Amino acid sequence: MIEFTLNGQIVRTDDDPNTPLLWVVRDTFKLKGSKFGCGAGLCGACTMHVDGQAVRTCVLPVFRVEGKQITTIEGLGSPDSMHPLQAAWTEQSVPQCGYCQSGQIMSAAALLEDNPSPTEQEVDQAMAGNICRCGCYVRIKRAILSVAENAAVEDNGLAYNAAAVMPEVQS
Amino acid sequence: MSGVNVSRRNFLKASGVVGGGLVLGFSLTGCSSRPVPVEPVAGAFVPNAFIQITPDNRVRFYCPRDEMGQGVTTGLGTLIAEELDIDPQSLDVVFAGVHADYNNPDFGTQGTGGSSSLRVHYRQLRQVAANVRDIILEAAARDLGAAKGDLKTDSGSVIADGERHPYGKFAATAQTLTAPESAPLKSRGDFKYIGKDFVRLDALEKSTGTAVYGIDIDVPGMHHAAVRRSPVAGAKLVSVDKSAAAGIQGVTDIVEISSGVAVVAEKYWQAKQAVAALNPTWEIVELGSVNTDKIREDYLRAIDAEEGIVETEGEIAPAFSNAAKVLENEYWAPYLAHAPLEPMNAVLRIENGQADLWTGTQGPAAAEGLVSRFSGIAPENIRVHSTYLGGGFGRRGVLTHVIEITEIAVATGKPIKLLWSREDDIKHGVYRPASLMKIKAGVDEAGQVTAWQAKRVGGNIMPQTLKNMLPGLLPGVPASIINAAVGLSNRAFGSWTIDESSIEGLFEDYDFPNREVSHVTVEHQVPLCFWRSVGHSYTSFAKETMMDELAEQAGLGSVEFRLRNTKNKPRLNNVIKVAGEHMKQMRPAEGRYLGFAAHNCFQTDVAQVAEVSVERGQIRVHKVTCVVDCGVAVNPDIVKAQMEGAIMYGLTAALHGNLSHRDGTIQESNFHDYPILRMNESPDVEVVIIDSEEEPTGVGEPGLPPIAPAVANAVYAATGQRLRSLPLTLA
Repeated sequence: MIEFTLNGQIVRTDDDPNTPLLWVVRDTFKLKGSKFGCGAGLCGACTMHVDGQAVRTCVLPVFRVEGKQITTIEGLGSPDSMHPLQAAWTEQSVPQCGYCQSGQIMSAAALLEDNPSPTEQEVDQAMAGNICRCGCYVRIKRAILSVAENAAVEDNGLAYNAAAVMPEVQS
Repeated sequence: MSGVNVSRRNFLKASGVVGGGLVLGFSLTGCSSRPVPVEPVAGAFVPNAFIQITPDNRVRFYCPRDEMGQGVTTGLGTLIAEELDIDPQSLDVVFAGVHADYNNPDFGTQGTGGSSSLRVHYRQLRQVAANVRDIILEAAARDLGAAKGDLKTDSGSVIADGERHPYGKFAATAQTLTAPESAPLKSRGDFKYIGKDFVRLDALEKSTGTAVYGIDIDVPGMHHAAVRRSPVAGAKLVSVDKSAAAGIQGVTDIVEISSGVAVVAEKYWQAKQAVAALNPTWEIVELGSVNTDKIREDYLRAIDAEEGIVETEGEIAPAFSNAAKVLENEYWAPYLAHAPLEPMNAVLRIENGQADLWTGTQGPAAAEGLVSRFSGIAPENIRVHSTYLGGGFGRRGVLTHVIEITEIAVATGKPIKLLWSREDDIKHGVYRPASLMKIKAGVDEAGQVTAWQAKRVGGNIMPQTLKNMLPGLLPGVPASIINAAVGLSNRAFGSWTIDESSIEGLFEDYDFPNREVSHVTVEHQVPLCFWRSVGHSYTSFAKETMMDELAEQAGLGSVEFRLRNTKNKPRLNNVIKVAGEHMKQMRPAEGRYLGFAAHNCFQTDVAQVAEVSVERGQIRVHKVTCVVDCGVAVNPDIVKAQMEGAIMYGLTAALHGNLSHRDGTIQESNFHDYPILRMNESPDVEVVIIDSEEEPTGVGEPGLPPIAPAVANAVYAATGQRLRSLPLTLA
């Protein structure tokens, strides 16, 4: 039995200890926001936070997270209470097919946690592990930089007003 | 190898049959007597297959096309919202089930592709919604005892005497009335939503991990399947040692299916381990002796053969004699995989003679037909539940995974989720065909291209598309007849007719007064499929790098030369002109160079300028300026997003994309050896949309073809090296 904390809740699993964390989270705990893209740690679609670090969970055996804090896209924010990155992603219509975006957002969140005002080059570097096959890179980068800028302007950490950027028709 | 003269008339006739990028222009589904798959809420108004208005004023839009990222739910939803007069953000978008009412009018079946959705549904869906608005006004007039002419609508409400009445209030009366056929449509000046930017309808779900893809579906009792397939496409299983796989914990079934051996287990991870532990033997097939070198050699032999002329105009021989300069070059493009980030998958439950299939597909009607054919369940007892597609790019129009899951579910009697691995996707896919092209062109003193002789050698997509689609589109027709039709089409496309998608884009864009287009089919039994922009993905590379070379010979700039040769193509000419003006304003930093290319496909015109540097032999694209004319831009922000995305997809192909065969086996397997462009390699993109009154044309694909030649032309400016092979590699 392996025990860890998933989005703030203690969970236990008797899955094969070698099962990658991604499949335990998706199939045992039924959180489907983290995606399978390559199974080799190459595309980043499965990115979660393990003790605050962005980690590719398709190659991380679940026994390795015994006692650790796991955060998934569902734990980062929800449609009713979005993380600033999720709000920016929505407001700027970043996603196309959307399949990679949970992983993109988790990588971006870890970056901003670590470095609240990254340069463009630092964003490139931190996000190079996440493939977007639809090629939304222009918007992903813009959204990350806008959140960083907003946080700096507000001097208010990352607590910017998600309601202010909800979808709205502009004529 | 074969190739036969076909007159221009026959060529056009053949194009008519296979035009537009997907399949046959007549209805194959024949299921119009079936009820529409709309589950009505009590008391709701359901005027047609597309719209349901509930008493509490929710408006559901049953979207006939599939959402693979191109923004079709927003685009088509905007058409509905505009004429129904509601806020698009308030729509509940539902992916339609299978019914002939949802057919793509261009394809005659329920298919999404060919950058067609907005073009083919622009009038249809607006008319549908305008008719519904009219009937609501009629119902409101009756319920309120008002004159219909005195009523107006605004954002989902009828306005009577200054009072707002939500549409839902009139659902019951509306349900008793008959909709008009042709209520007047809004004129462009009255548009509230068409042509305006607003947030994609799916942005919130896709930013919060709540959007549902095929891979996310679970049903009670579901087991997980993985499949071992032959490393050489088409080779059948001879025998398999299952003992090691059967011993793996959680494995419940190992079944032989038409594509190989399937392992079924309680968990995906168990199925994945077990499928690797199988020890299969495969039959020997012809493709098993094929290497990439042999493919290229076979193509090289064919390109010099005097055969395969499919289209002529003017007199080519005297035009070459009279030309001031003549150039002749060959161009190569390799096989490519689509690699959508969500690998192929589906969930199928067969219970009490009823089948439910969940999958993200570009062809739900064909999916239904395949489940029917391989399970024996009648189509009316099958429900296809479409999900979001984690990328399509043409790949999700081929449904071998639906055949596989049906065979597995029938053999095991269990609800099944089938998931392909990334290695399955790269190694067992259906590919963008490799192509060898030769262009010989002559230019006169005035910078006019007077002779254009173009030839393409390679395999054809269309006969394979028929082979893949007919079994699903005609589930009641016996396999023997389908096979005969496929055999006939193979012979046809191999000898007397031409697959338009093999040569499209090679010759149409410029005013070539004398031209000759040839095609020689050389097949190696490699599975082929439509890949974002299809033939244009390689023909544009040959055509636009040759145009750049000719411009240099003529002593003219890239833009001026193209302007002189597009006098009969005003829309393309204008896009080139506008892009040229932007190019003049670009001030590349030292060490950076500009390259230009333009192309028309799917009725949309695009020109691009790429700003490129070459450092230590590495090509780096810094910025792309993209000018597009797609008629009315229904949602300009999505048009921009599609240009941005197509440029990145095209850059992956231009800089990295390459599949190679050894002993008939694809050598690449995952993103380490089939790399996808990453953020640190991606350019800034500026998109300029030409203001237009014309009806919309597609934007999913047309942003792709110009980027590879624009980069190649910039590389020439930077290094003096003409690169004529994809992916672009410096000597």
